[in-house]
Amino acid sequence: MTRNNEQFRVENLYLSFSTKRGIVQAVENVSFSLPRGKTMVLVGESGCGKTSLGRAILRLLPRNVKEYRGNVFLNGQDLMQLSNEKFRREVRWKKAAMVPQAAMNSLNPVIKVSEQVIEPLLRRETKREKAGAMKRAEEVFKLVGVPLDFLERYPFELSGGMRQRVILAMALITNPDIVVLDEPTSALDLLTQANIMNVLKRIKQEEGYTFILITHDIATSSELADLAGIMYAGQLVEFSEAYDLFREPLHPYSQKLMASVPSLKEEKKLEYLPGQPPSLLEPPRTCRFAERCPERFERCDEEPPMVEVKEGHQVKCWLYK
Amino acid sequence: MPQKFTPQEQVGEKMEKQESGRKRQGDFLRLLRYSALRVIALFLAVVVGVYLMILIANMGGYVDEIRRAEIAFNVAQQVRGSPEFADLPEERRREIMDSMIETEERRLGLDQPFILRSVYYLRDALTLDLGRSENLTSDAGSRQVRHIILERLPPTLFLFLTAQIITFFAGLFIALTLSRQYGSKLDKIMVALAPTSAAPSWFYGIFLILIFAALLGVLPFGRMVAAPPPDDTLQYALSVIRHLILPVAAIVLGALFLSVYQWRTYFLIYSMEDYVEMAKAKGLSGRKIERRYILRPTLPPIITSFMLGIITVWMGQIVLETVFNWPGLGRLLFQAIGLYDTPVIIGIIVIFAYLLALTVFVLDFIYAMVDPRVKVGGEGGQST
Repeated sequence: MTRNNEQFRVENLYLSFSTKRGIVQAVENVSFSLPRGKTMVLVGESGCGKTSLGRAILRLLPRNVKEYRGNVFLNGQDLMQLSNEKFRREVRWKKAAMVPQAAMNSLNPVIKVSEQVIEPLLRRETKREKAGAMKRAEEVFKLVGVPLDFLERYPFELSGGMRQRVILAMALITNPDIVVLDEPTSALDLLTQANIMNVLKRIKQEEGYTFILITHDIATSSELADLAGIMYAGQLVEFSEAYDLFREPLHPYSQKLMASVPSLKEEKKLEYLPGQPPSLLEPPRTCRFAERCPERFERCDEEPPMVEVKEGHQVKCWLYK
Repeated sequence: MPQKFTPQEQVGEKMEKQESGRKRQGDFLRLLRYSALRVIALFLAVVVGVYLMILIANMGGYVDEIRRAEIAFNVAQQVRGSPEFADLPEERRREIMDSMIETEERRLGLDQPFILRSVYYLRDALTLDLGRSENLTSDAGSRQVRHIILERLPPTLFLFLTAQIITFFAGLFIALTLSRQYGSKLDKIMVALAPTSAAPSWFYGIFLILIFAALLGVLPFGRMVAAPPPDDTLQYALSVIRHLILPVAAIVLGALFLSVYQWRTYFLIYSMEDYVEMAKAKGLSGRKIERRYILRPTLPPIITSFMLGIITVWMGQIVLETVFNWPGLGRLLFQAIGLYDTPVIIGIIVIFAYLLALTVFVLDFIYAMVDPRVKVGGEGGQST
């Protein structure tokens, strides 16, 4: 499969929701870019807006969206310029697919697996089209390691891990330019998690897919990552090559986060971070992390800019300005 | 990418095909077994229901006492009033009366204990050997209960099915529309109207008659066709439709709002499922999402609620038909109760029991059809 080396790029993406208690700023001024065939891991704790970011990319927004702006470029095309209908028809699943958080429940219980998997390929539902789509479905099922006779089963006849693989197969069936994986393994047991991660690794290497992997599991995701972004309270606070970021995190939050991950290779005392992230309801105007930051100083009362410390390593912190 | 199969894989495929064929055969057998079990279970329910009905209709045998007293009274009247017995001695007259009573009681089977006779009744009732009515006759003049009932069954089914089909599809459509515009003014109005379904359909019937027949005079008060019935088939059909409007409207009014409210809520709940979100992400059109991802999975609970509704409406049919003078089973039952015509009452109850059992049976099947999780044959799959 040949892919041109163009990039997926997000620029100044904002997403907020209006709720009864006020405006929730879920994603604020997030920018990053991702070369073809690479995988970016988006790490952050619960409620930091990483799922919202993933959904914003596919424009899967709830009704109470307040603000949704920025630019999302895919193959040089600005997706934000497309109308909803055009976006649905041309981008969703054709160019950008996703594996949602609750993949276990993401299959319709009363429709056969095969029908659901081939759906994105069908335009007119002719017999010939269906036969072709089934061929492709068999291919992707083999790719993710699901026995072919599962195609003719109903979702409730599949185990959780198999369902996850089916969803993954479904995401790959249209050969999309980018796949957003939103905590694809969080509902599974450790062995199944490892299996799925191995499948992802294999697919990435063999087929050259571009993934955005949203997770809070740093240890497992590091195997897959080329690039990594750390999110905190709706903002991207650090973004760089995964190796760099996992080795030498720059942002105090990233440092604390890495220090909380057990490692096989070295003996270390795990650290934890006191306090809680700020509420996204009217977040503070200061640096979002200031309140919990061990290295806070005066300038932290202002919001820091994204600083490029070295080639391809950006961090949103006054320490590096 | 063209797929190349190695011979081994082809063999595997063939075996798979054979297996699926065998599986289909197994499915068919399971289906048969399932239906047989369902029929037996439903039949037992009907037997119990009908037997209870027989006991109740005979007041646990007390009706026999009434009938004995009635026979004694009639015979006494006959003997006293007849001049041919007038000059017989008192004792002889007693003897004659006793033997007449005995003959009459034997003719009606009253000489056997009630428990035994109740079993005969049950057998006759279940085989639809419903005997002769005591007072009622069919319009064609027959006293056979079976004839009376068969004459009244089609109008009931006609009215009932028309109303149910309209309720089901109109309800589904409105509920889907409302779920799409959840929270709108129309939605709020429909929700507010839901409690109106607490009143039975005949209650609406009375008002409809008052408004459209008495006040406006645009539709007939009742009956199934105009009197005298038109000769022309087309005219006849038109007349039936005109007479059908009000009772159907009454049934629909009595059931629609609650169903719409209920189903709309189901749709709303089911449209929050993860797979609906997934379908959106897949870029499917709104119509397709609605049909395959909201309507399909929601059908089982909707069918259940509809089934319960049907059973309620079957019962309400009695008063409704009386209100509308509709020549159906319900009104027949009403008349039969008024005349203590036990054979007819039992006959109708038996028919109702069978109809209910049939309804449940059919809906069981539809249920298994729309929801693959309902596995026929007891090896139910579990769902998450």
